[in-house]
Amino acid sequence: MNDYLKTLNNLTFERIKNLKLRLAFLYLVLIFFTSCKNEVSNQSEEVIDKNFAHIKYAKGFSIKDYKTYKFLEIKNPWPKAEKSYRYVLIDKENAIKSTFSKNEFDGIIIKPIKKIVVTSTTHIPALELLNTEETLVGFPGTDYVSSKKTRHRIENDLIRELGKNDGINTEVLLELNPNLVVGFGIDGNNRSLEIIKKSGIPVIFNGDWVESSPLAKAEWIKFFGVLFNKEKEADSIFNTIEKNYLEAKQLAQNIKNKPTVLSGAMHNDVWYLPNGSSTEAQFLKDANVSYLWQDSKGIGSLQLNFESVFVKAKDADIWLSPSNYNSLESLKNGNSQHAMFKAFQNKNVYSFNNTNGESGGVLYYELGMTRPDLVLQDIIKVCHPELLKNYSTHFFKPLK
Amino acid sequence: MDKKNTYTKPFLVLSLILVICFFTNISLGSVYIPLKGVFNSLIGTATEQETWQHIIQNYRLPKAITAIIVGSGLGISGLLMQTLFRNPLAGPFVLGISSGASLGVAIVILGSGIFGGIFASLFISKWGIVLAASLGSFLVLLSVLMVSIKVRDTMAILIIGLMFASITAALVSVLSYFGSAQQLQQYIFWGFGSLGNLSWDEIFIFFLIFTVGIVISITSIKSLNTLLLGENYAKSLGLNIKKSRLTIIIATSLLAGTITAFAGPIAFIGLAIPHLTRQVFNTSNHKILLPAVFLFGAIIMLVCDSIAQLPNSDFTLPINAITSLVGAPVVIWLLVRKRKMIF
Repeated sequence: MNDYLKTLNNLTFERIKNLKLRLAFLYLVLIFFTSCKNEVSNQSEEVIDKNFAHIKYAKGFSIKDYKTYKFLEIKNPWPKAEKSYRYVLIDKENAIKSTFSKNEFDGIIIKPIKKIVVTSTTHIPALELLNTEETLVGFPGTDYVSSKKTRHRIENDLIRELGKNDGINTEVLLELNPNLVVGFGIDGNNRSLEIIKKSGIPVIFNGDWVESSPLAKAEWIKFFGVLFNKEKEADSIFNTIEKNYLEAKQLAQNIKNKPTVLSGAMHNDVWYLPNGSSTEAQFLKDANVSYLWQDSKGIGSLQLNFESVFVKAKDADIWLSPSNYNSLESLKNGNSQHAMFKAFQNKNVYSFNNTNGESGGVLYYELGMTRPDLVLQDIIKVCHPELLKNYSTHFFKPLK
Repeated sequence: MDKKNTYTKPFLVLSLILVICFFTNISLGSVYIPLKGVFNSLIGTATEQETWQHIIQNYRLPKAITAIIVGSGLGISGLLMQTLFRNPLAGPFVLGISSGASLGVAIVILGSGIFGGIFASLFISKWGIVLAASLGSFLVLLSVLMVSIKVRDTMAILIIGLMFASITAALVSVLSYFGSAQQLQQYIFWGFGSLGNLSWDEIFIFFLIFTVGIVISITSIKSLNTLLLGENYAKSLGLNIKKSRLTIIIATSLLAGTITAFAGPIAFIGLAIPHLTRQVFNTSNHKILLPAVFLFGAIIMLVCDSIAQLPNSDFTLPINAITSLVGAPVVIWLLVRKRKMIF
């Protein structure tokens, strides 16, 4: 009897123990769910329109709209990036109501953006086209900027100089305290951007230059569109650029004679020229000219021996973009072999190096990426002068 | 008289190899040109293709001549420096010649933004970089010489040369901080070294200064041999140490300075060739060494250039990489085989 009671007691004890454990477990689960409530509700919210900003060409970024916030993913900030970078864009009012885990995203960007810092001249045309150039408060290497609008603001000290080349002057930047820094990376190691990020200023990487086609590069204007709540404007600007580009391409396709084109130039013993899958080569293809290295493949520029270039391109009709040489004389002084080409002798050498802003920046490097339509029209004008009779080139000029 | 005879044969063989290397170098390149075409281009008769003639006459031939001048000149100046400092690690650039040249070039390329005006126009002119490099190396050498007049110890000059080199290197890095990306690119290209960049009129001047340097070196053979015995002993033999030191330094600066000016800093050859020659000829007599270094330097440089051209491919490798890749194993192999260094 005693034994029986003992067992019974033990059993009830076990049951009570089990019950307690279960309760505790339930309680824990409850805590877990309640504590995560905000995040969970955010995450589970329906995607309003997965492709609300329809991206046609660019492969490096995507935008999703979750009603209260937008999700921006940068897939390829530099070639062979190991992971994609994820950003939340949220308005000030909504930001107070919701919480986001900092570890899950690479940056939480609170809108509206009133002060922005960009780091490449290629970002400036997009800001201007969207009428948001007033938000630009700092830029590294302001001398490179050519656009008249922004130059004017630089001269009136509305845009702070942030240092030269790679190293951004961190102290000045922290003092400016912008809402966002648009950086770019050659690889994952950029220490000054890392420091800025740690100090609480969101840094977003722009990967426009990684894209492989001219229109894909231009489509990155939509990246700036979503940052400034100007998606529609960005869409319509891009559509116009696309339309102009395709029209110019169509115009050139109808012509029969294809001039042969040589590109690049020699530095020391090596001739550097764009490979057949590069953006430059695509421009030439779309302009319906025969680029002599159209069929070459590879990453980066081709590095060829003088002899092989000479045999192939001695009689080329047109010589486009002879590296950074800016006159026929400097081209000849750079290497006397340059003068042996027919295009040189006939003065058919065209370069964008001589179209500069007031402080010496090369306009092509700034505007060329955002306006591929102008670049293509320029090349068509140079190679098929009978088309586009009333057009005057924006970037390319004959070398003198 | 006996001694001379024993060396006639190797000299004949070496000269023959040099001639073979010279013609091999000219007939090899990215573009395949049959031997007949090479020969016809050289003597100036018509070839099957017009481009061949241009490639041979205006590209490969100047390049081969440059290779000979560079290889032999650097080898000899390396030999002079090794004997003067009695240090097997010395090379043509120990006195800061290449760093002086690079400072000159850096000022012209990178400084055109800072100083503007004269530098910018100098940079455009054909002789800009050559002048800057010569001037830079000359000025650094002049300072070393001024110090060397005050200092008695030859080793101290070596250290002073190294110090000047690090000062100029520091100045170059300051300049490159302010330079634009484009200018930096230009400067780095110069640093790769190049043999195929010279036109005939440049080669003419190059060759003229080179000959002067060689002649001065030949006149100092006697004092070089005496210096091998040690400075004190040389003095007791009646050698004017200061004067011969000055002559040797001037010869070196003429050779190494112009080579750096025209072809950029070419690595390794100056250090390795004298060692290679000593191992093969087993002597330290400069009467033998000087012409032997000349031949060896020219041969090795021609071979390196032929390899760098990667015959029948469209690509070219930087000559500086090849000189070390080819030269270093040869010297190591010789040292291991002979088990001792002749110095």
